[in-house]
Amino acid sequence: MKRRNFVKNVSLASVAAPFVLKDINFQAIEKKLFNYSKNAADRVFVIIRLNGGNDGLNTVIPLDQYDNLMIQRPNVVVPETSILSITPTLGLHPVMTGMQSMFNNGKLSIVQNVGYPEQNRSHFRSMDIWSTGMLDVNETRGWLGRQFDNDYPNYPADYPNTTYPDPFAISMGYEVSATCQGLMANFSQALEDPFAAVNLLSSNVVNDGTYFGSHMEYLATLIDQTNAYGAQINAAANAGNSLSTLYDANNPIAVQLRYVAQMISGGLKSKVYILNINGFDTHNAQVSTTDTTAGSHADLLKTLSDAVSAFQDDLQLLGLENRVAGMTFSEFGRQIASNASDGTDHGDAAPLFLFGACINSGVIGPNPTIGNTIIDQEGVTMQIDFRDIYASILKDWFEVPMADIQPLFEQPVTYYQVLGACNLSVEDQEFEKTRILLFPNPAISATTIRFESQNEWVKIEVYDLDGKKILEVFDGNLNQDTHTIPFEIQDLMVGEYFVTILKGSGNQQIKLLKVK
Amino acid sequence: MIPDLTIEEPVSLSMVPYTGAWTKAEAAHLLRRTTFGATNQQILNAVADGMNTTVSNLLQIPVISDPITYDSNDATSAIGSTWITSVYPSDVTSSQLTENARIKSLAAWIMKRINTEDVNIAEKMCLFWQNHFSATVASDARATYNYHMLLRSHALGNFKQLVKYVTIDPCMLLFLNGATNTLYSPNENYARELLELFTIGKGPQIGPGDYTNYTEEDVASGAKILTGYLVDGLRSSTLPSPVATYTSFLHDTSTKQLSAHFGSVTVSDAGANEYSNYIDIIFQQPQVATFICTKLYRYFVNYDLTTAVLTDIIPEMAATMIANNYNILPVLDQLLKSEHFYDVALRGSIIRGPIELMFGMFNATSSAPNFNLAVDSEMYLTMYWLAENMGQAYATPPSVAGWIEYYQAPAFSKLWVNSTHIKTRFDIANYITVYPGIPVSGQNLKLNALAFVDGLSLPSDAVQVIDDMCDVFFPKAISPVQKTTLKFILTNGQPDFEWTLQYNDYQANPGNTTFSNPVKQRVELVLARIFQMPEFQTI
Repeated sequence: MKRRNFVKNVSLASVAAPFVLKDINFQAIEKKLFNYSKNAADRVFVIIRLNGGNDGLNTVIPLDQYDNLMIQRPNVVVPETSILSITPTLGLHPVMTGMQSMFNNGKLSIVQNVGYPEQNRSHFRSMDIWSTGMLDVNETRGWLGRQFDNDYPNYPADYPNTTYPDPFAISMGYEVSATCQGLMANFSQALEDPFAAVNLLSSNVVNDGTYFGSHMEYLATLIDQTNAYGAQINAAANAGNSLSTLYDANNPIAVQLRYVAQMISGGLKSKVYILNINGFDTHNAQVSTTDTTAGSHADLLKTLSDAVSAFQDDLQLLGLENRVAGMTFSEFGRQIASNASDGTDHGDAAPLFLFGACINSGVIGPNPTIGNTIIDQEGVTMQIDFRDIYASILKDWFEVPMADIQPLFEQPVTYYQVLGACNLSVEDQEFEKTRILLFPNPAISATTIRFESQNEWVKIEVYDLDGKKILEVFDGNLNQDTHTIPFEIQDLMVGEYFVTILKGSGNQQIKLLKVK
Repeated sequence: MIPDLTIEEPVSLSMVPYTGAWTKAEAAHLLRRTTFGATNQQILNAVADGMNTTVSNLLQIPVISDPITYDSNDATSAIGSTWITSVYPSDVTSSQLTENARIKSLAAWIMKRINTEDVNIAEKMCLFWQNHFSATVASDARATYNYHMLLRSHALGNFKQLVKYVTIDPCMLLFLNGATNTLYSPNENYARELLELFTIGKGPQIGPGDYTNYTEEDVASGAKILTGYLVDGLRSSTLPSPVATYTSFLHDTSTKQLSAHFGSVTVSDAGANEYSNYIDIIFQQPQVATFICTKLYRYFVNYDLTTAVLTDIIPEMAATMIANNYNILPVLDQLLKSEHFYDVALRGSIIRGPIELMFGMFNATSSAPNFNLAVDSEMYLTMYWLAENMGQAYATPPSVAGWIEYYQAPAFSKLWVNSTHIKTRFDIANYITVYPGIPVSGQNLKLNALAFVDGLSLPSDAVQVIDDMCDVFFPKAISPVQKTTLKFILTNGQPDFEWTLQYNDYQANPGNTTFSNPVKQRVELVLARIFQMPEFQTI
């Protein structure tokens, strides 16, 4: 029904003030009800690449396999008592306190054992596979780039323009991300510092119809585009804000995520931000020889966890939580058994993180199974194909129709519920069955709500835009039927309100405009 | 606004020798495609020498000196000596430090080679082969060096022989898993790329597992044929170099069946030489010549393979190659002297890669680091990293297929420049001209603007200075308005004779910065502008 194309970042009239209903204490309802990101066009996705192959088994630790981990990697595994437990059978590395509290608050989820068939243990090849979302060696476009290409087949010609003034994606750092590589150009703009002005020398060469001329046109366009996007980024960064006090100025990823928060809050319409952390290729000295909870890998995980939790805090304070989600990925996990250099070698599958207020919280997939004998070069067996996670993100977060998603991938896509918690469209079918109608609307002194219910308890309330409850309309049991309930609004101030219907068969809301 | 660039004549499709005008435009085109950055004087010399002499000068691979240790972390090779046959220390940490020192020395050495290439195709060919036989840096710098030297010594030699050497080179055996391809666990990685990327090329799929020129069965048979080679001596504390060794009990002695694309022949056991017999069979297919000639054409002439090019030019190149038993030199000799090569419609048809860009600035201005071994080496290493930053780390192509800019349709060399890379290109241009330089080890890496301008035809004449710069840096003539702008920058808006006075004062007062600095600054400003023009980004 609603074709929501994640790259069509048409400027929605800016979303109303964030609406957080503090006095309802069951989170699930809150998420589904107070969803302002009805249109995926306003959503932002943040990708953090853990470059080098993250040791998943020392990141998300299967507590039920701990005894065998001690057999396989005694010099690397962290002490059982230090692990930050998040479920009875699963814990995080001791430095990941920030992500632990995100998990506990339903803002971090874990997908277990992600990889692809016949894992390639070359950094380059495997990163290509993760970037393109294809095992086909000939594919050069990124998984996001293919989707961008579908929507903007002529990019970069004629971009930016008045409809699309902002870059479609931003890669923090010097290199554009391969995930955004399109046919003719990369859809991401590389960015070190959004506050730095970009002013490349522009040129007015013309295309004379030769090969040379076509290059002149391309280069002149690129220069103008870089300048124009640079100006937009600069303006957004300056207009934007950052409210969290948790960012550590010495944490490079925190600094970059703070920039991202500033750009988003400043109104930049970029859909995707990509960040990169190097150093996960921990063949040796992954842990300190005296303390396995310390060492290079612990430092990296702390960098990640601190930065992401500060970012999430900022998004909450900025009222952007329902518009921003993210994920981490790495080209492979590491082998189950450690090596003699207090490190681990290239392996296979690994967990990945999804974060944001709109995630389907929890853990997807079972814990990896660790054997009690060391098998040379054994990695964690893949159970969930990373391409299915990509496809699920496109479906849940950007609401790309499934018919458009399948052609982007080479395998039959299996969808997982990953980022659907804020989607009304998840309830689309019930929504069709239980239409809601408010009449008259706008209204002066009274209005009537008509809706459908099952045999269930129903509560109808009116809230203002700050989330404050103004009126309780109905609270009780109803039969399966269409109901019509009139109510008075003459005491309400002129302005916008939300009428919400809480019920077991699916919550609903509708906007009410009170006029004089 | 660009006067000479009206509608182009149709592209000449003749491989007959070019007999048209031989001016700076044609000579500069030849040198732009075969070297990284010819100076004005080198272009003038090529004009004087004529096409034939210039081409034969270009097609000689010079003898070069070895990479030199400059970092005291190399535990077994003294500073100033070469490490190419030095053993590694047995201690793991020290061995790694030694390797780091050597790989830096090697990278710096390769950059220095390019920076001091002279009028010679060797460096361009080395980059071509590093892209084609895309094995990346091995964990032993000696293996990486040996591999580079293999490509260099055969750069214009026999392609079939080069494929044979590459097949059992330690670097390649490690890169594509040849070293773990055994009777007991065959690995198809190299066998596949040997056909797909290195020799015959993958055609359209015309049946199950059939890629026109070879089949999956050939890949599987090839893997078996190639079994048995191991690599010994990596970072050895006793061996002077890593070596490939043949181990007969790891070799598959069965008889291997090839597909109809290779005449359905069988390859019977020939032990250590079986790979060579197999390569001989592959090279019986003329498609091998077509495949490599296409790649040479794209590298030296144009990425766009029009139907006419495919029917007229490539087959002639391939025929020349086959007539010369797969020798490279005659093919390039013919190409670089052909009417087609000098067609004006092909000028500027390639966007400079990062290495072409960087040395297009350094070489063409006769600029080279000149401090001491350590500083110069670090400066060359900086050049390596700058090129890496712009997307081309020498000897480390991003995939086994090489750099995508050499093969990815339809954008090809356009892919070298994106929003970041164009900014990096412009930043570097500013840093090495109008800024104090790129700081390296307490010194500044910068162009030598005075040496550059002194080497032009008539440096005291502002018009001639700008004309020479255009010949050196742009593949096509720029407009009078653009030329006037550049001259305006050179003269700071003064009448031309003011530049003449300034330049003559500088010449009359050697070593006096009061006179030399204004000249230097004006030239640097012009160079900064030129390097940020789209026209300079092409060759």
